[in-house]
Amino acid sequence: MRKMLVLFGAMLLALLPATGALAQSSEGQVVVVHGIPDLTVDVYVNGDLTLEDFEFGTVAGPLTLPEGTYDLEIYPADADPSSSDPALAGSTDLPGGAYASIVAYLEEGGSPTLGVFVENNSNTAAGDARITARHLADFGAVDILANDGAVFEGVTNGQGADVDVPADTYNIKITAAGDASTVAFDADLNLLEGTNTIAYAIGSVAGGSFQVVANTITGLESAPEGVPTGTAGLAGSSATLPIIMIAAGLVVVAGGTALVTRRNEI
Amino acid sequence: MSLPFLLEKTVKRIVGLLLIVIGVAAIAAAALALWPGNEDSGDVAAVESALRPEEPTAVSLGPPDVTTTTLPPEETSDAEEPQETADIAAPIGLRIEELGVDAPVDPYGVDQRTGQMDVPDNVTDVGWYKFGPSPGAAGSAVLAAHVDLAGSGPGVFFALDSLEEGDGVVVLYEDGTESSFRVIARATYDKDELPLDVIFSREGPAVLTLVTCGGGFNRNLARYDSNVVVYAVPDLGGELPEGANL
Repeated sequence: MRKMLVLFGAMLLALLPATGALAQSSEGQVVVVHGIPDLTVDVYVNGDLTLEDFEFGTVAGPLTLPEGTYDLEIYPADADPSSSDPALAGSTDLPGGAYASIVAYLEEGGSPTLGVFVENNSNTAAGDARITARHLADFGAVDILANDGAVFEGVTNGQGADVDVPADTYNIKITAAGDASTVAFDADLNLLEGTNTIAYAIGSVAGGSFQVVANTITGLESAPEGVPTGTAGLAGSSATLPIIMIAAGLVVVAGGTALVTRRNEI
Repeated sequence: MSLPFLLEKTVKRIVGLLLIVIGVAAIAAAALALWPGNEDSGDVAAVESALRPEEPTAVSLGPPDVTTTTLPPEETSDAEEPQETADIAAPIGLRIEELGVDAPVDPYGVDQRTGQMDVPDNVTDVGWYKFGPSPGAAGSAVLAAHVDLAGSGPGVFFALDSLEEGDGVVVLYEDGTESSFRVIARATYDKDELPLDVIFSREGPAVLTLVTCGGGFNRNLARYDSNVVVYAVPDLGGELPEGANL
């Protein structure tokens, strides 16, 4: 009999600050990430088949959904939901404006579970990109390095973090925590301005199925705060000449008025 | 009263009236020069409206905006293709016949200290805001250059505020191609009121936006109080209507 893990109880998403790209929206977005090796599944949302034959290592979405509560059930592919139990199930609140990752993944030790993570979709500063790292693999604590400098240290299974950096290409490494010689992942990532690149580490290192899948939220960019393009004051409307013209004009008008109005001379 | 006296009086009156007219004209011209709003031309509001990003909606972040990539483990490579906003190459040159401008264009980003657009620190080059679209792609492609630079004199965009509706602008691209644009509007914005969301918009019609400084100059801060912005659109070959006198 296959292992059955049913997660009941709502996984409530924290309300995001109202700075997100969807802040005023009554809809949220969801991506679904499959991080359990060797298991092809069908995903049901509120009882409807939403993703069919969903395979390990794939990211589906984003699905744009009205804000609300969603029931998620994951069945082995082609299972009949009316006559069998889900492999994983859970329920989540999706607030308007939120961007959520729903990930079926392995805990450390190899037990499958279902997690919901709210991603940071607030605007990035002009020129910046955001990288989010999520440790969802059957593996111990890791360090995450960008250009060989530690960005996140001691990240354990189920944890994640994000950081904003100047948009550029970075070498990203994932190593065992405190052990730079055990490299699980090493690649150059081009972090584009105004995006959040979410890297989900999934699978099992021991089982040889470890991989990192990425998903990018775009449209988070901000405009620069100005355009500084002059420091010498050679151009533009100098106020000096017009003021001289006004003064001279007043004198001329006064003289003219005197000529016109003087009457009783010789 | 003698005739000479009447003649003299009449001449004086005519001269006096002339002086009044000349004086008033001089005052009016000076007042016009000082009036801040007189430098805008063309339908600035229409350009701003077309470029202004729409209110965020869920739809605007729909599926086409998201890329999904599987990264091979332990492999060093470019994991993602850069998502250029369009298939238009980066600009490398700018020609504006009316101003005698023929300048190199280089990509610039953001000055991390100030949050402002980074611009060339010389008077000869033009900076392209590399995070926005290339000229001709959807949205506002920003080319910025100095009006002047202390110690160096007038800049390549010194006379930008003399460009008029219908004037031609040519952009040269990295791939050897070039595109023609026509000026449709010019505006002078107080720096505090610069519509940054319009000027740096990444959606809407393809607009080439030329930016420099102008307006009043604060000698204490060595800073202009305004930005001169010229909006141009791809020249599709047709004659622009000879309309609004700039």
